[in-house]
Amino acid sequence: MIKKIYLIGNPNVGKSVVFSRLTGVQVISSNYPGTTVEIAKGYLRLGNEKVQVVDLPGTYSLDPTSKAEEVAVSLLKEYPKEEIAVVNIIDSTNLERNLLLTLQLIERGFPVVICMNMCDDAGHRGVHIDIAKLEELLKSPVISTCALTGVGIKLLTERIKEGVSAPKGQFTHHERWLEIGKIIEQVQRLEHRHHTFREIIEDASVRPVSGLLMAGAIIYTAFKIVRFIGEGIINRITDPLFINIYQPVLEKLSSSWQQKGFWFHLLIGDLINGKIDFKQSLGVLTTAPYIEFGMVLPYVVSFYFILSLLEDIGYLPRLAVLLDNLLHRLGLHGYAVIPVLLGFGCNVPGILSTRVLESKRERFIAATLISIGVPCIPLQAMIFGLLGKFGGFYVVGVYLVLFSLVIILGVILNRFLSGYSPEFLLEIPPYRFPPLRMLWKKLYFRIKGFLVEALPIVLLGVGFINILLYYKLFDFVTAIFAPVVHGLFGLPKEAVVALAIGFLRKDVAVGMLMPLGLTANQLFIGATLLAISFPCVASFVVLAKELGLSGLIKSVLIMAGISIIVGSMLHFLILR
Amino acid sequence: MKRISLVQIKANELVKILEILGGSNLENKLLSMGVYKGKSVTKLSHIGLKGPVVIKTGRSILALGHSVAEKIIIQRE
Repeated sequence: MIKKIYLIGNPNVGKSVVFSRLTGVQVISSNYPGTTVEIAKGYLRLGNEKVQVVDLPGTYSLDPTSKAEEVAVSLLKEYPKEEIAVVNIIDSTNLERNLLLTLQLIERGFPVVICMNMCDDAGHRGVHIDIAKLEELLKSPVISTCALTGVGIKLLTERIKEGVSAPKGQFTHHERWLEIGKIIEQVQRLEHRHHTFREIIEDASVRPVSGLLMAGAIIYTAFKIVRFIGEGIINRITDPLFINIYQPVLEKLSSSWQQKGFWFHLLIGDLINGKIDFKQSLGVLTTAPYIEFGMVLPYVVSFYFILSLLEDIGYLPRLAVLLDNLLHRLGLHGYAVIPVLLGFGCNVPGILSTRVLESKRERFIAATLISIGVPCIPLQAMIFGLLGKFGGFYVVGVYLVLFSLVIILGVILNRFLSGYSPEFLLEIPPYRFPPLRMLWKKLYFRIKGFLVEALPIVLLGVGFINILLYYKLFDFVTAIFAPVVHGLFGLPKEAVVALAIGFLRKDVAVGMLMPLGLTANQLFIGATLLAISFPCVASFVVLAKELGLSGLIKSVLIMAGISIIVGSMLHFLILR
Repeated sequence: MKRISLVQIKANELVKILEILGGSNLENKLLSMGVYKGKSVTKLSHIGLKGPVVIKTGRSILALGHSVAEKIIIQRE
């Protein structure tokens, strides 16, 4: 009787894709090692029974050398070997490296079924593997699959219980590599090929000069495309929908409203020149949906489209190699670009994925730098929408301030924090071009996630703010913080409310700045402060979870200090 | 004999690993990724003076931080 099925394999062999195929549970998969930082669980129907399937983080061997590997290995020991099935997923294009883990699993007596994944890719690259021979040599079932298209998955489920436990003595890694050499000789045939175009590009992207040129071009183009698609959606789809269809309905509702009291204030907000203004009215039915659907969502779509594309192609690990040098000076190493880039979408997955970094010190530095210097896409969208109309100069200015802050703060943290930063050691995957269908699926999954998390908070948040404003309950808070916000930062005292709301959601906070009639410079300071000050409540929770209480307190003190210093510096530099 | 490490050779050289210095933790980690004594590797590139070294071994491409590459002693083939 099998109680659990574990999926185990080297990093980046497609475990998560196989997992989705087996269980129907959608999880994010990308073309870089370490996408799975949380353990995913789902169910597979085998005849009449439902068996739990666990997607373990990637590991190179059963002697763990990192935190993620430790987790994988300890989970394997939860149940007696007779009660589990272990599916060892292998990247067929790189059988040799993958077999080390396979041999270890067999030696230790795990009932293993071997899943030779990415079989189509192996064919394209001229790698031919004799599956029957491999099965004979390993004395375990071997199934050839291509999880992206679903080939072989049915056969895998049929044979999933056929693994047998046959423990052998323990060998050393050197002995295993010798054994692997012999196996490879018998089962793998490589077609001799000339360098393909893909391989030439793969090489060029990790060489110093060509690599940096490519990185510059890719980042610039990616940013331009995000703006282009985002603005395109706003101008062609969402703005026409809001202005031509939604506004007339609301105007009708507003003009038939008899007593414009509490409920009017809550739902519609203030009328600007007798009309509803989506950017300034601040009602639950007016500004709230406009911020979320009309300003933020278009950029969420365009950002995740580009990020998912870069992830799936496998560009990000190459960027990590190129930036390793710079990031070393901040106490991090190259792989920190992954959490940082995810953080540009939303700080929550960014901070969560700092788990790919090994030492506590690195995770602290990365999480703190992300909370301070990496604005999430909703905040960026609002900055584009608001500051953009004063000229691109201001938008670029915000990024420049944030970038300099990250560098300065990183250098300081690296110098004064104790502990060590472990070395950079990363496998670079080949470029892959997964079917567009996978890209759409991932995009849909991420956008849905965004809407489910953001929309309720935005609607409730705007409602809550309106109630507080209606009963003038903010006046007290405003009075306390006015000296700081007005005296030090040069913003009107009403901006206190906006900065406070930043704790709830950054996009709504910028939205609160809209009706204040700020000058371009004031708006610039306000937006920059919103980016660097307190993280929103969702990021706050993951920060607490990842850093622990003392780490959180340290991180928050740093944020508060920096906000005050930067806010006053900007004020005296550009407003005076 | 002068000992040379991965950082001291040019790109595109095919070399054999003689020894891996540093602790057993690093050695084990490299070992599990297929980089061990006696293995042939090709250096693909070296980013900047103190930057990472990219190598090809078997069918894998690995990026090694500068101080890791320094600890890998090699012999030209």
